Parts: sequence; C-alpha cells; structure tokens
Amino acid sequence: MLGLDNCLTEVMAIPGALDAMLVDHTSGMAVAVSGPPQGVDAETSAAALTETLRATVDGLARSCPGETVRVDDMLITTDKGHHLLRMLDTLFGGPLVIYVRLDLERSNLALARYRLSALSTRLLA
Amino acid sequence: MPPLDELLAGLAREHATGALRVGRAGTIYLDDGRVTYMDCAQTPGAERLLAGRVAEAALRAAQADGGCERLLAEGAITLGELQYCVLGAVLDAAFFLLPVIGTRPKFRPAERHWLGGRWYFDVPGLVRECARRRACLAQIWPAAEVDTAPVRPAPRLPGQGVALTGTQWEVVVRADGACSPLELAKLLGRSGYAVLLAVRELAAAGLLVTGERPAPLPKRAGRAADAPAPRPGTRPPRTLGPPVNADPADLELLLRLRKALEELS
Repeated sequence: MLGLDNCLTEVMAIPGALDAMLVDHTSGMAVAVSGPPQGVDAETSAAALTETLRATVDGLARSCPGETVRVDDMLITTDKGHHLLRMLDTLFGGPLVIYVRLDLERSNLALARYRLSALSTRLLA
Repeated sequence: MPPLDELLAGLAREHATGALRVGRAGTIYLDDGRVTYMDCAQTPGAERLLAGRVAEAALRAAQADGGCERLLAEGAITLGELQYCVLGAVLDAAFFLLPVIGTRPKFRPAERHWLGGRWYFDVPGLVRECARRRACLAQIWPAAEVDTAPVRPAPRLPGQGVALTGTQWEVVVRADGACSPLELAKLLGRSGYAVLLAVRELAAAGLLVTGERPAPLPKRAGRAADAPAPRPGTRPPRTLGPPVNADPADLELLLRLRKALEELS
C-alpha cells in the first residue's frame, strides 16, 4: 500500500529524477526525503520551497482578478535541471507537496507530470 | 520536576512503550521509544481532522473493532491520508503540549492509541520541529496576544486589495470576536498551528484585531425590547399622507379664519 514513506521510492523511479521530497505546505516542514541530502539541508530546502509556492500562489491570485487560484503543479526550469512541484489538497490540512528535481537532459517532463499525478491520486484519494 | 521534553527524551532512551498522561492536558503514546500518537486537549485530534473525510460512525466502528487496519481495508481512507493526518495531529499536539508544565505526568506501560503505529516520530526531531514552528510564528508577528484572545476581522481593509490563502479565508469567515484561535481550529477542523499561523499573518497585515465585537447599539437593543409585539392577525396602523399633528379644534379655527377673510373682501 502506498504511504508517505514509500511513495518517494516511486517518485525516484521517474526517469531522470535526481532527488525528491514531501513537504507540508502549511508548516514548511520536510515530511519525507528521498535520500541523503545533496548539498542542501532538507529543512531549509522544504521551508524555501514553501515560500516559493506561497509567492507563486499570491502572485497568480493578483494577476487573475476575480478568480480563485488553484495550483495543481508548478514547473521551474533552471540551467541545472527541472523542479516539479505537485500540490495535493486534503480536507484536513496541507496541502501536501511532492517535490522532485529532474535532470535537464535525461528527463521527460510530460512523463514526469503524468507519473506524479497518477501517484498522487493513489496516495491521497 | 523536569520539563516534558526531557522526560520524553528519557523515555526514548529507555525504548519505552506506553502512554504518558500529562494531567488533563493530553497524552503521549510511545512505541519502542518513538512517539506514535499524541493528543492535546487544546487542539483537534486526528479523529476530528478525519471527520470531514470519514463518516463518524465508520470511525467509531473501526475504533471499537479492527482499528485503523479496518479503516484501510474498507477503503475509507488511504494509507497516505491516515499517515498525513496523524502526522499533522501529532505535531500540532506536540506544539501545544510540550510546553505544559506544572502537572506530574504518569506513565502507563504498554498502552497504545488505535490510530498510532502508522507513522513514527523520533523525540529530538519532534522537539526541534516545535522550536522551528515557534520561531516561524514569532517571525511573522512577535505579539502573542492574538494566540489566545478572541479575534475578529478589522472592519476596514487597510488598503485597496488583499490576497488570502485558504486557511486565512476560513479564519476571516469564522472569526466573530468570541472565539480564540484554538477554538476556531476546532470549529474549522484545521490544525491549531495552521490557524495560529493564519491569525498571526492576518494580524500582521492589519486584517484581524483582538477583542470582543462592540456591544450592539443601545438604540437598536432598546427598540427591540420596548416595541410592543404586534398581535397576530392585526396589521400595524398605516397613515397616508403627511402626519396629522393638530387636534380637531384647529378645524374650527380654520373655518372661523375663512369666514373672517370672506367678510373682509
């Protein structure tokens, strides 16, 4: 059965995945981390990703007046790789965020997005 | 008496299994030195958080027989949801329960919580996360009086527009000047910390103020109390045209005046 601990194994099975993390968006806490931290501290990274998402949602809310912003996923491409974040809403809190960093050359973005969305419906129905 | 987190660290070192009851404030459940569940009287527990997702009867039935295995087997919730819910509830309870002092905790070996055992927390990590959360709150808005006082939305927006998050919206909708943030959390079925965070963010933006709602205007209250209740079946008297404020004798006066004017001409 897919739980918070073993879902990152599946996220890391996405072609080109470099590292992955589950983040609680409300508190900015790292819920689970895929492996040994690579250069950055997981706690700092989780808090920073939360701020990135918050700023994006705020910005979008301002740029589409009269609309409620509901972010499903967010993709940022840098010169080092792709960062894919998927927000999973729950009734009791969250949202829970699945974050995965993908290799620039070896990854397939469409496949990665599809795999993440399929995974999220199994994780939190 | 040692603080609760030191006591907990000691139990963790001993790989203790059981429940640590902290007076009426709450209970901490441990399994082999790791925390499996924690409830706190001040915050909504996992059962309350799940109430929006799972029918209450199904929750009770599972609690009485089968435990969370039954909930998962019946497909009422997924494992991910259960873990995420317990995670949220335990961290929330820890945030408010660990600073509690003044009660002598009692440890009962081998006692377990029915929702525990699906996600484990190590004690130092729990204490560290609580400290981090406290620092986050202080960074948003250093004044702690909004944490416990009843809150209500500011009557006017201190600007032209504002963007709110989902939790902030829920807080604004329900903040009526009578509920404290933790009471709001129970009402909303949101974690206490999430509501506290939203309340401090709103307070920092000048959107939420503490204190009771101003008492209703005496005029309105007076009118409601003094006015006789209309009898059923009778319509209140209606006046047409300008109100009559003179007594019938005036008509006499007018007639005399007309007569005098006619005699003059």
